Amino acid sequence: MTEARRVLLLAPARSYRTADFMLAATRMGLDLTVASDGALPVGDRPVLPVRPGDHERAAEWIASRCGTVDAVVAADAPMLLLAAEVAGRLGLPHNPAAAVLAAADKTRQRQLWAAAGVPQPRFEIIPADASGDAIRQAAAAAGFPCVIKAVSLSASQGVLRADDDGQAVQAAKRIRQILSTARQDTAGPLLAEQYLPGPELSIDGLLGDGALTPLAIFDKPATPEGPTFEETLLVTPSRLPSHVVADAVRTAGRAARALGLRTGPVHAELRITGTGAAMLELAARSIGGLCSRALRFPGGQSLEELILANALGEPLPPRGQQVSRSSGVFMLPVPRTGVLRSVEGRADAEAVPGISGVTITIPRGRHVRPLPDGDQYLGFVFAEAATPDEVEKALTTASQRLHAVIE
Amino acid sequence: MSDLASEVTAALARSILPSVIARGAASIRVIAAGDDGVITLEADGSPGAVLPILDRIEAQIRAAVPTVTAVRLSGTGPAPPPEEGDLRGAAQRVVDAEVNPPIAAHRGHVTVVSADGGWVRIRLGGGCQGCSLAEVTIRQGIEPLLRARLPGVTGVADATDHEAGTDPFFSPEKR
Repeated sequence: MTEARRVLLLAPARSYRTADFMLAATRMGLDLTVASDGALPVGDRPVLPVRPGDHERAAEWIASRCGTVDAVVAADAPMLLLAAEVAGRLGLPHNPAAAVLAAADKTRQRQLWAAAGVPQPRFEIIPADASGDAIRQAAAAAGFPCVIKAVSLSASQGVLRADDDGQAVQAAKRIRQILSTARQDTAGPLLAEQYLPGPELSIDGLLGDGALTPLAIFDKPATPEGPTFEETLLVTPSRLPSHVVADAVRTAGRAARALGLRTGPVHAELRITGTGAAMLELAARSIGGLCSRALRFPGGQSLEELILANALGEPLPPRGQQVSRSSGVFMLPVPRTGVLRSVEGRADAEAVPGISGVTITIPRGRHVRPLPDGDQYLGFVFAEAATPDEVEKALTTASQRLHAVIE
Repeated sequence: MSDLASEVTAALARSILPSVIARGAASIRVIAAGDDGVITLEADGSPGAVLPILDRIEAQIRAAVPTVTAVRLSGTGPAPPPEEGDLRGAAQRVVDAEVNPPIAAHRGHVTVVSADGGWVRIRLGGGCQGCSLAEVTIRQGIEPLLRARLPGVTGVADATDHEAGTDPFFSPEKR
């Protein structure tokens, strides 16, 4: 009988992603050691406490106590840097810390991509102490319409379109307020980016020695045009022409390498312009929220299983044999500010042919805020069908049957 | 295979299997389709993980195949009567002694709902209900603990309605 492979899973407390990694590890029969900033040790299995703050000391402490492991995996973004630091100490494959930090900083991304010639929107960095005139100049240099965005937030929080210099100044002011409310760094810069019209897609893939293997390519049929940029509908596989998708994959791979990333999952977002694919953002993690539950790979594997297998050095599914069926997810946006009382119509939504699940993720009684101020979605609707068109139709129909009661 | 069983099998493959796999089961199949429209399913992998969504599976099957009158999961009948509930009682004692004290620090508590065929069904409450780390507590803590202490335990099924949790200790902040 072979011994189970041991994996160190770094599990952040406030993430949707941890449960799916736990289930994937269970299905794969892995021997897990968990390090977390929130999980309580129960019983005999250790949970290594992670103290936020000093990554190097935390990494040293974890590496000295986790024993021999075959791979180190971060379940979500807050643990990426620590995972790289721990893996480095254990002599396991990992991304350089500088690459992980660059991927988490939208300003640094833009600079590195510019230096590497990766296609992207024109951009200007707005310093923290920028005057109104400086903001107007930066926005004008990016070109109107433009997008003003915070560099440290995600999930389209703190992202606003501006069609003229007055709107740019107002957007910057509002984003500073959002950063303050979110207790984020208000002394950092903002970005002014050229708004790129055109279809948007996201690519989830795995890096191996810097080469990107795409696993799932989602169309975003309801690509937002602003003023806010909530993502709602994701459908895979992409219906864009194969040469367009191939160009997007190449661009995402170049973008990842330009940041210094070499291994592990990548989630890239791109827009398709008249001159080809252009990078919007890239993260050194897999797709966020519960969206990965829309994906199923040959043999019934989940995305998390592929990530864990890849970290253990196992081969990936051959290209062209990735996602097993057309599938998709609808992220339910928060329609207005208030206290969530209920989400009605769930049974009707689940009865739509092709719908495979509806999950509400915000507890009743919780105060909610829509984008760009908030960063949460009410929940997720999942679908599978024979074609992407059927998936989109099912998700659209089901989402229209759901009604959030917010007081 | 009967027509009814074929129709339900097709519905399972079309729209139910993904959410079942996401809960930890390797597969789910029809093992009986009665003339009265009662369907019996069998899940493997981690069948206990399917229990919390059985109501939803039934609703989806009945929407897809209207002649279905009820859906059951093999090996997950009602809880055994008290005189047969040694495993349940023993599991609750272990939980009370070794699980509930530490998780009280997060306002959480665990109740053993039933124990049948080696499967212990638990319900998480308080800060554990809807907590984003609940799966860690179960898979890394409660399940190995019960398996180590009670040889009759095969696995632990989470019967908690996490979506109804109004006060989770940790809730996800980012999508």
